[in-house]
Amino acid sequence: MRSQAMFFKARAGDKLADRQLQANLGKAKSRFVEGRAQAVVDYDAAPGADFEALRDAASAIRDRVLANLDVWLETFEDKARARGAEVLYARDGAEICRLVVDIARRHGVTKAAKSKSMLSEEAGLNEALAAAGIEPVETDLGEYILQINDNEPPSHIIAPVFHKSKEEVAELFARTHHTPKKDDIAGMAREAREVLREHFMSAEMGISGANFLIAETGSAALVTNEGNGRMVTTLPKVHVVVTGIEKLVPTLEDFSTLMRLLPRSATGQRISNYVSVLTGVKGEGDLDGPEHLYVILVDNGRASLVGTEFEPMLRCIRCGACMNHCPVYQSVGGHAYGWVYPGPMGSVLTPLYTGIENALDLPHASTLCNQCGVVCPVKIPLPELLRKLREKQVDLKLRPWRERLALRLWGWVAARPALYGFAARTAVRYLNRRAGGTDRIRALRAVPDWTAGRDLAAPEGRTFRELYAERVGHEGRTKR
Amino acid sequence: MNARDHILGRIRAALGRTERSREAARAEVKATFDARTAGPHPLFDADLAARFRREAERMSSTIDEVAALADVPAAVARYLDARALSRRGVVWPALAGLDWAGAGLAMETRAAGDMDLVGVTGCFCAIAETGTLMTCSGPRTPAATSLLPETHVAVVPMSRIVPAMEEAWALARSEIGELPRAVNFISGPSRTGDIEMTIVLGAHGPYRVHLVLVRGE
Repeated sequence: MRSQAMFFKARAGDKLADRQLQANLGKAKSRFVEGRAQAVVDYDAAPGADFEALRDAASAIRDRVLANLDVWLETFEDKARARGAEVLYARDGAEICRLVVDIARRHGVTKAAKSKSMLSEEAGLNEALAAAGIEPVETDLGEYILQINDNEPPSHIIAPVFHKSKEEVAELFARTHHTPKKDDIAGMAREAREVLREHFMSAEMGISGANFLIAETGSAALVTNEGNGRMVTTLPKVHVVVTGIEKLVPTLEDFSTLMRLLPRSATGQRISNYVSVLTGVKGEGDLDGPEHLYVILVDNGRASLVGTEFEPMLRCIRCGACMNHCPVYQSVGGHAYGWVYPGPMGSVLTPLYTGIENALDLPHASTLCNQCGVVCPVKIPLPELLRKLREKQVDLKLRPWRERLALRLWGWVAARPALYGFAARTAVRYLNRRAGGTDRIRALRAVPDWTAGRDLAAPEGRTFRELYAERVGHEGRTKR
Repeated sequence: MNARDHILGRIRAALGRTERSREAARAEVKATFDARTAGPHPLFDADLAARFRREAERMSSTIDEVAALADVPAAVARYLDARALSRRGVVWPALAGLDWAGAGLAMETRAAGDMDLVGVTGCFCAIAETGTLMTCSGPRTPAATSLLPETHVAVVPMSRIVPAMEEAWALARSEIGELPRAVNFISGPSRTGDIEMTIVLGAHGPYRVHLVLVRGE
């Protein structure tokens, strides 16, 4: 997928002005937040249960693999091959496409049924398959809606049509399926089920991602609610797993720990309806299952994070909690971010995977409020990583010279307490006068964008340091 | 250089991999597999069956209970009739020995197809923590039977209810050794919340899941 992340500012502006989108976001945004909060309370109510301990254990599991990623990958490969899977590697999106198209041709595939995969979005796999004469069919209801809407990109990693209303979907279905327009969601879901069932039965190849790879058994684990993940990995004669090299966990026990976190963090469910642990190909006498299994392990930028300050990002289990809880995401939706991954995790991944110079706005598309860090099931310090990306932009001289000069000036003043105190006092007095006796400043020329959308609260009187000095004085200590 | 060597080479360089640290890493992998440490999880030592029922119902499964395996066909017939569902369907080869015809049911022992309306399966075990069935694919326990039909009925011997996923893995290791092609954890009917975050039951898999608990097993 071609990144539009460099246009975040403009796109975010458009999204804020889009009334339909704002209404849709308003309806949807609180559900995930409330769902997760309730799930954590319920989990903690059981004897011996501690959600925080679970988060600690999960991040330790992820770190343990990353610390020896090469050896864990080799272990996985051995186990998976021993069960008849072919393990392949892909450096980038183009290589994913080439490998999948080759596999499809080798087995005479004309149609591929797909379970939702964000890596397939990274690679633009659908376009590559279509160009090779192979029909890709998205089978996750959300992804299917996007595909028939002229291949619209998803706006959320687990709820691809987060941004759409049921009326929009109803119109799309009536137009595409040539059926009477439905007004109930259950009816729409049944209609999609009937259309997609035929594809499941006729596709010669299934393509899925993997939520986790399990080194101990050489298995790929797949989590879905709809059952489409089970369909595409059970019915077609060929199954291709496309997944990142960072998805490994050591044992089935570790997988069990992560499964206590993933659904709760994602949708607030205690467990997803279907959790499949898939190992190897159809066995002797089996009535179903693929005859050929390929696992494509993808780098596409991941290996360059290993051993760096950004390595914690590779712990990510793609639950979406960070975006669900992000005030910026809640306001602009996922499309504004311009690439595959929106929200805080996207603002970290997009510059790291597509080039820091190609996503200058994203590390700034955050108030650093740390809602994301608090809910992250694997404790990724997202605000800290965003801050590091901002620092990198300054170091690489990717910020405008005025901003860099201002920062440097601020740093110089801040390192001189007396001067800083004077500057702060002056600024407070000035802003006080600008407020003209009210508590708000409507527009400030120094930060026009900021005051275009909201008022600046006027300082109430004196600076923090003045108040602090006075308080220390009252308490009878010696003033310096 | 091929993609594998390129990617693994970059990771090794980033980790500063040496022959010695490689040996240490391999030892750590082996130690991890030997230890198989379970993570923190809730304790359910009390009534596992009660917990299982409660959680399964929360996931929209319906539940019946019978005294013995021989009572299962009649219970299935009762369930299907009460909802005016088809009396025809497919059943796991592993359950072919039950007297389905005696209960008035036309159950065929074969792979499930697109047109089958009812699928009857057993389970490898069941998990109390989340009200979940664990099924293991095999010649006598095909995976599609619990997936393609609109109605899934599962037979759950109460002695096979374990506290959590960890105990289920332990059971699989001791009873079957290597994992089968597909281990499926099933928690209620398929569902989607993709449109306006509104949950609808019956996405691509079954619309309903009915569990028949068997006391004497």
